[in-house]
Amino acid sequence: MGLDYKWVFWNTHKKAYDRLIVSGMVIYLVLFFTISFLTNPEIIAETVIIRAFGSLAIIMLHIILAIGPLTRLNTKFLPVLYNRRHLGVSMFLAALIHGIFAIIHFHALGNVNPIYSLFTSNMDYGSLTNFPFQVLGFFALLILFVMASTSHDFFLHNLSAKTWKRLHMMVYLAYALVILHVFLGAFQQETSVFTTATLFLGWLTLVSLHLVAAFKESKVDRFVAEKNTEGWHKVCPPEEIEESRAKIFTVKGERVAIFKYDGKLSAIHNVCKHQGGPLGEGKIVDGCVTCPWHGYQYLPHNGQSPPPFTEKVKTYALKIEKGMVYINPKAFPEGTAIPPISSS
Amino acid sequence: MKRSDEFYIGYQKEVGPGTKKLLKRFIWITVLILLTGAAVFGFFQRPAVNSTFDFGNPTQVSGVYHESPYPMLRVPLAENEFKEIVLLGFGKSGPNPFLKDLRERKGDLNGKQLTIEGQLIYYNGRTLLEIDDSQKVMVSGTGAYEQPKSMGTRTLEGEIIDPKCYFGVMKPGYGKIHRSCAALCILGGVPPVLVTKEENNREVYFLLTDVKGNPIHQDILPYIGQPSRLTGQVKELGEWRIMQIDVSQIEKLKKESSIY
Ligand code: HEM
Ligand code: FES
Repeated sequence: MGLDYKWVFWNTHKKAYDRLIVSGMVIYLVLFFTISFLTNPEIIAETVIIRAFGSLAIIMLHIILAIGPLTRLNTKFLPVLYNRRHLGVSMFLAALIHGIFAIIHFHALGNVNPIYSLFTSNMDYGSLTNFPFQVLGFFALLILFVMASTSHDFFLHNLSAKTWKRLHMMVYLAYALVILHVFLGAFQQETSVFTTATLFLGWLTLVSLHLVAAFKESKVDRFVAEKNTEGWHKVCPPEEIEESRAKIFTVKGERVAIFKYDGKLSAIHNVCKHQGGPLGEGKIVDGCVTCPWHGYQYLPHNGQSPPPFTEKVKTYALKIEKGMVYINPKAFPEGTAIPPISSS
Repeated sequence: MKRSDEFYIGYQKEVGPGTKKLLKRFIWITVLILLTGAAVFGFFQRPAVNSTFDFGNPTQVSGVYHESPYPMLRVPLAENEFKEIVLLGFGKSGPNPFLKDLRERKGDLNGKQLTIEGQLIYYNGRTLLEIDDSQKVMVSGTGAYEQPKSMGTRTLEGEIIDPKCYFGVMKPGYGKIHRSCAALCILGGVPPVLVTKEENNREVYFLLTDVKGNPIHQDILPYIGQPSRLTGQVKELGEWRIMQIDVSQIEKLKKESSIY
């Protein structure tokens, strides 16, 4: 498989995805504007712009946050995850337009700097219902900005996957800030059971999805292997693993994927070097373990990406005894070749 | 349990039929969420009032200037019928920066007949005029104006707003959402105004001054945009009222504003 070939189809999928994002956003904005001006003829354009982009951003944020647990529950959602960063950047742009318009509308043309005004024009920091809600939106926007601007793979390579992941976990902090921004802000004045209930429902859906997905994964982590005398962990009979697929086990607190292919078994660390995708939910394609998230590939017997790529993951030794697979929990350094064992 | 063998790789063209079906469903549900979201957030907005800002459409107004204590123009409408127009500046500012030149040349402006070209702001029978250029203010003589008439002491509940936004520039121009803008306007020299509702549900507007009748700006900022109770001497000036208050005696009320 040549690199050029990869690039071309990668792009057709991405283009379709981007077209869908843009159409969705346009449909939302057109409908919001139409409804606003038809049902509220005296309203002014600035207010409608601020509200249209603010509400669009929060809805997109909900969709983005739902994709993670959905893919963990059903891997067929993976294509949506592939380009989630495009969705993230688009959501940031919507939030940015909302924030900039709000800052211009409410804070510009005064005799103090608009950003200074944002923090000082309402000083009721001690009150809940009178809290300066725009400050919450400002910090949420700042987090979304950092995330959008580091979403490119360039930063992934230069920040280390762990730092990048931690950085991007801050989306949950941003979400919390946005929810507070809306409940302590707009909802204190524009009180409607329907908008409040809608956002509450969104929050509830996200929490449930995350809980269900976490419960599913905790089953893997709760697995306690029987140990034999030399410290090898007994995991399962080889028939339980499907051809070209893997089973994931947690040994010594690390998730390990045991793959079956061409009548052989190999074990590698479950965490992809790209963005930490679960390799054990991937598949052997063209002889390589292929990550379900973005298709990074690793050779099962040595955990190395085929040249010209240089990613490497840890490998583990396996053995079969009395029809049972055993794994040695002591990992070998990344990229160490371990001869596969026969699966029969 | 046999797992479906479909496996999507972004750089391959093929997408399995099961994956395709799920994606289609996901896209439709997302579209449905977007449509519902736009309908709910679009439909359930408080109706905006018919206040007006003649933006980009200036009007020439002539009348007698007076500071009672905020800059106003007494404009004749018909014989013995006048309108008291409150003067404002460009953006979030009062009129004083735009009257500075004229004051330096002509001294005290009280009682001077001024002709101003500015943009009108009006709602509910009250009119304000935004001056955006000191060159568009001219003196054309002198005239008489009335002193406010005392109406005794009153205690009232309402919300303090900035009249520039409330009477036309912004919608909503009151309440929590608009609070920081109102604070900036009032800090910038726009007179603070108390809005209350009388028994017949008609709104009444009070220009707020300190106990001695001088303008207040900075001191009143913590009380803007929230339901509060104010007590003071009330005076009448044309279609406006003036209330002389002790800012430290303003009582914040923990309830929804009556003007929503
Ligand atoms: C500098 C940052 C921000 C500022 C100054 C700001 C300001 C405001 C203001 C003034 C309102 C009330 C508007 C009205 O109802 O008339 C509002 C509402 C809202 N904001 Fe923000 N905001 C900021 C960031 C954000 C971000 C990052 C999000 C979401 C991703 C967001 C989502 C919303 C939503 C959903 C509403 C309620 C619906 C609406 O009225 O627009 N805001 N914001
Ligand atoms: S996480 Fe992106 S390819 Fe594995």
